[in-house]
Amino acid sequence: MSSAPLLRVRGVHRRFRTGPTVVHALRGVSFDVAAGSMVALVGRSGSGKTTLLNTIGGLDRPDAGSVHVDGTDVTALDEDGLSRLRREKVSYVFQSFGLIPVLSAAENVAAPLRLARVAPAERERRVELLLELVGLADHARQRPAELSGGQQQRVAIARALAASPRLLIADEPTGQLDAETGLSVMALLRGVVESEGVTALVSTHDPVMMALADRVIHIQDGQLAEEAAGQPDEPVPDAR
Amino acid sequence: MNRWLARRWPAPHWPSVRGRGRTDVGPLLLTAAVIAGVALLAGAAPALLRAAADNAVHDAVRRAGHASNVLVHANWERDDGPTGGRVRLPRLADDVDDFRARATYLLGPDLDAALLPPIAVVDSPILSITGGSVPRTFQVAYLAGDLGGPDVTWIAGSAPGPAVPERSIEIPSNGPPWPVQVGLSEAEAAALDLGPGDRIPVRDGQGPDKDVHISGIYRPVDSADPAWRLIPALLHPVPGADGVGTTRFAGLLSRESLPDARLAFDEDQLRRTVQFAPEPEALAWNATARLASQVVKLKAASGPSSVRDQSLKWESQLDTVLRDARTQISAASAQAAVLLTGVLTVTVLVLLLTADLLVRRRTPALNAARQRGAALPDLGAELIIESTVVSLSAAAVGLALARAAAPGVSWTWTVPAVLAGALAGPAFGTLAVARASRDQRQPANPAARRWTLATGKLRRAAVDAAVLVAAVAAFVTLHQRGLLPVASDGDTGELTGDLVLPVSAVALGVLAGALALLRLLPVGVRFALRQALRSRRPLAVFGAARAAATAGRVLPLLVLVSATALASFALVVGATVARGLTDSAWSTVGADARLDVGADVEAATPALAERIAAAPGVGQVVVAQVTDSARVFTESTLLTPRLVIVDAAAFQRLLATTPLPDAPALGRLTTPNPDLVGVPALVRSSDGNLPTGTRLQLTRDGAPAIRLTAVGTAPSVGGAADVVIVDAAALADAGLPVVPNTVWVTGPGAARAVSSSGVAADVVLRADVLQAQRVAPLTAGLLRLAWTAAAVLLALGLLGLTLAAAAGASERWQTLTRLRTLGLRPRDARWVAAGELLPPVVVAAVGGPLLGALLARLMLGPLELRLLTGQAADPAAVLPWWLLGVVSAALLTAAVAVVPVESALRRRDRLSEVLRAGE
Repeated sequence: MSSAPLLRVRGVHRRFRTGPTVVHALRGVSFDVAAGSMVALVGRSGSGKTTLLNTIGGLDRPDAGSVHVDGTDVTALDEDGLSRLRREKVSYVFQSFGLIPVLSAAENVAAPLRLARVAPAERERRVELLLELVGLADHARQRPAELSGGQQQRVAIARALAASPRLLIADEPTGQLDAETGLSVMALLRGVVESEGVTALVSTHDPVMMALADRVIHIQDGQLAEEAAGQPDEPVPDAR
Repeated sequence: MNRWLARRWPAPHWPSVRGRGRTDVGPLLLTAAVIAGVALLAGAAPALLRAAADNAVHDAVRRAGHASNVLVHANWERDDGPTGGRVRLPRLADDVDDFRARATYLLGPDLDAALLPPIAVVDSPILSITGGSVPRTFQVAYLAGDLGGPDVTWIAGSAPGPAVPERSIEIPSNGPPWPVQVGLSEAEAAALDLGPGDRIPVRDGQGPDKDVHISGIYRPVDSADPAWRLIPALLHPVPGADGVGTTRFAGLLSRESLPDARLAFDEDQLRRTVQFAPEPEALAWNATARLASQVVKLKAASGPSSVRDQSLKWESQLDTVLRDARTQISAASAQAAVLLTGVLTVTVLVLLLTADLLVRRRTPALNAARQRGAALPDLGAELIIESTVVSLSAAAVGLALARAAAPGVSWTWTVPAVLAGALAGPAFGTLAVARASRDQRQPANPAARRWTLATGKLRRAAVDAAVLVAAVAAFVTLHQRGLLPVASDGDTGELTGDLVLPVSAVALGVLAGALALLRLLPVGVRFALRQALRSRRPLAVFGAARAAATAGRVLPLLVLVSATALASFALVVGATVARGLTDSAWSTVGADARLDVGADVEAATPALAERIAAAPGVGQVVVAQVTDSARVFTESTLLTPRLVIVDAAAFQRLLATTPLPDAPALGRLTTPNPDLVGVPALVRSSDGNLPTGTRLQLTRDGAPAIRLTAVGTAPSVGGAADVVIVDAAALADAGLPVVPNTVWVTGPGAARAVSSSGVAADVVLRADVLQAQRVAPLTAGLLRLAWTAAAVLLALGLLGLTLAAAAGASERWQTLTRLRTLGLRPRDARWVAAGELLPPVVVAAVGGPLLGALLARLMLGPLELRLLTGQAADPAAVLPWWLLGVVSAALLTAAVAVVPVESALRRRDRLSEVLRAGE
């Protein structure tokens, strides 16, 4: 890593209370991610992957520790600051796509651009470009229900890239797709990381995804696997 | 068969049942509260209506007065003597007693129990009192109940005795008038200025004078004794009883003087009658058909009046009075049924919405149970056990409350709500789990997707068409058949099967209208979305997108539109009845106040009117001579209209200051017309057979008839169907001086002015008449039900709005959270939520009241509200716009309040939790 990391996570703790039971979802997680890289976050169900992604994206607040994205301390931002962060720097791709059903693929992709008050002409140009990028230029006017699952996830990826974020967070983006479609979506993610220069943090169970990632971070019982071995503050080495 | 035998009974997992019950205690309690509330209303309303029906029968019989009496006549036995003369029958009073006993026996037990003890009346023809300046009439009468006649105190002289000491004597047929003794009441003796021993100068038509002597002057012990009501002239002079300007007097016969009275008149002139007055409190609504039928049978069994025998001849209007009351009650029952059907329709929809909410909350848990191996029948059984317990318990509580609040309880109307509460949740839940476990996903093939889409559209269209056909059928049936049950003796007043369709017409019409709005809403919202997409406002796009995504949801819009439309309909019914009562009171009184002046002070009426006119707050004062049942002949028939002799110009001015219809034709009464024969008159006849130009003759006692010519249609006066109005000055010129007996007064001070007039007159205040009509059992009951139904429907609508918001909240906040991951600010999320919630609410707030008002205009006619308001024609629908505005405003206010409340409740939810829940 020659430059400053785009993402810096330090000593993040997160506990959840369910009645009398306290669950330690994250136990002092720390790592850095370099800009322009694609990192796979791997672990069993309940290991803390989604909690970690939500904490990084500002959807959840840690009980302790800090998260910096492109130099911004996410944990210190108020709601408006977080909204601005999501509009400008961080975007998400979800397992269930999260598209607006009554809008066409192009209109879904344009949604972040509308929130960012991008001029219509620029918005249309960008949407066209992104749909081209994800291979759905011919499906721009179709609604989500008229698209297959893989196509919907491609639209979701295009939407996530619309506002040119620095960090793309994808939580099991292939979880609802068959293996072949999942592979193509992963390949697309890999491609956009390179073509758009975006940094991607992807949680997955998929070995193929791990193979496509620049680096794999294992998480187990709320701790990075390596940290569990006694290296709490050291970045996890690249998987490749 | 083997397959059935191999099947096991569903085995509920009780811990799951208890767990779900604890988790969803809120929606379950809400379901219970809705069912209990509706059970209370629907259980109590029919019982209250039945009680009101009994009171209405009592009221109708009381109002009918003498008309509801049962009368029986019988001719006397002949009194021919052996030498061709007439025999005095000293035991004639015993014969009258026997006649009364025979009539009582023939009544039958049911009718006997409903009538007061009989009173036998023997009365003479009307005689003229000779001498004096004003026409006066006289009759002799004998009254005898089971315990004798009404008690009197003889304050001068003594009771009438026999004319001769011999008990039996034969008199020649052509002898002098036979003497008869009578008693006079104190008031009459004073009016006639006669005392004991005096002879009353009376004559039978053109015949010889009768020999009637006064034996004594009496004072009634109880002037309220029902017997006196049969011959009121026995108590005091009765003005107008025998025509315009006449006053009737009467003399009381005793058992001893009755045989003489028979001889004093021709053999058949003295009439004997037994009168049975109904006992209103003994008349129950459900017995009226039987009683009316018995009266009809008695009348049918009467011998012909032309035959001279001793057979009984029955007369009564009681059957008509009871039938009219039944008609009124049937109309009120049907009107109440229409309102209750509306309440039940919305209740069932709200219960479906509650079930929908419950199933949305439970689907994950139910799916998990299914994945763990629970069979669908087991899950269905668990759900139905829970919902049945909740529904039946709630209904029992509601019915118990109804029993405590009303004199009885009816569970019939509660059944739809209990069924909806018991079945909707299990049905929705089982279907949701079955659908999830089928794992049927969206087909990848576009053609298959289109086919699925088309199938869904076809299914919806079939449902829409079915509701529309039912609504049209109900509407046509309502207009063609009406709401009144077909009269029959076996009619118990309950809602019969043939009435179900017309009674449901309004509810079905509302459902059809709501479905139309439901299909139009997505079109409108998609149009709004297209417009928003062209704009630069992201919130408009997302709000419209959410609205478009949820516009197809059926239950929320159906509940909102149905509730507001039916609440508006109930308000229109209430307002129309309230206005109808006001109009009817104006029509009955004719002004703010009316004085019906007694005969003894009629001469002072003009001075009285001047005094009233000078009182503060008095507007118009008009005096008139009003005579009911005046005798007016046309060329072919005799009419008995209400004759109104009035200053036409003053009457016209009075009408102009009241809500009563103006009568410009009154001007013709004073317009000179040399071609006109006789006195110009305005004529109103119930059958409309007296057009302009018809010639009439107003008969008078002892004077030539006055010729009248119809010059126009008379306005209704006091609600009378047949009216003749003549200008007072014109009639005076024709030789009939006017003796005013009525004073109409308008203005805010009218009631005070007439009440303190200080003369012997009946004061009729419009406010009192209106109040009496408002508290009349059926009218008050229906008004209460209309206002209650409107309030309950509005409450159900607001509850439906809350439930709809709650049912969609999870999905809405999922979407809003996803939009927030794109950068939407929290405060902007509220606008998007409002954009989703408002369209159906706005449609319901605007479309509901309009739909309700439209249906009221189309369907109020067949509801026959005139039967309750007492108006001559069916009233036009009165639209209480400000109340309809309250309905709309309440809905919009609630919708506007939902968003911040929901936002505040969701503020503590972390975005990550919301997203995780949606995965």
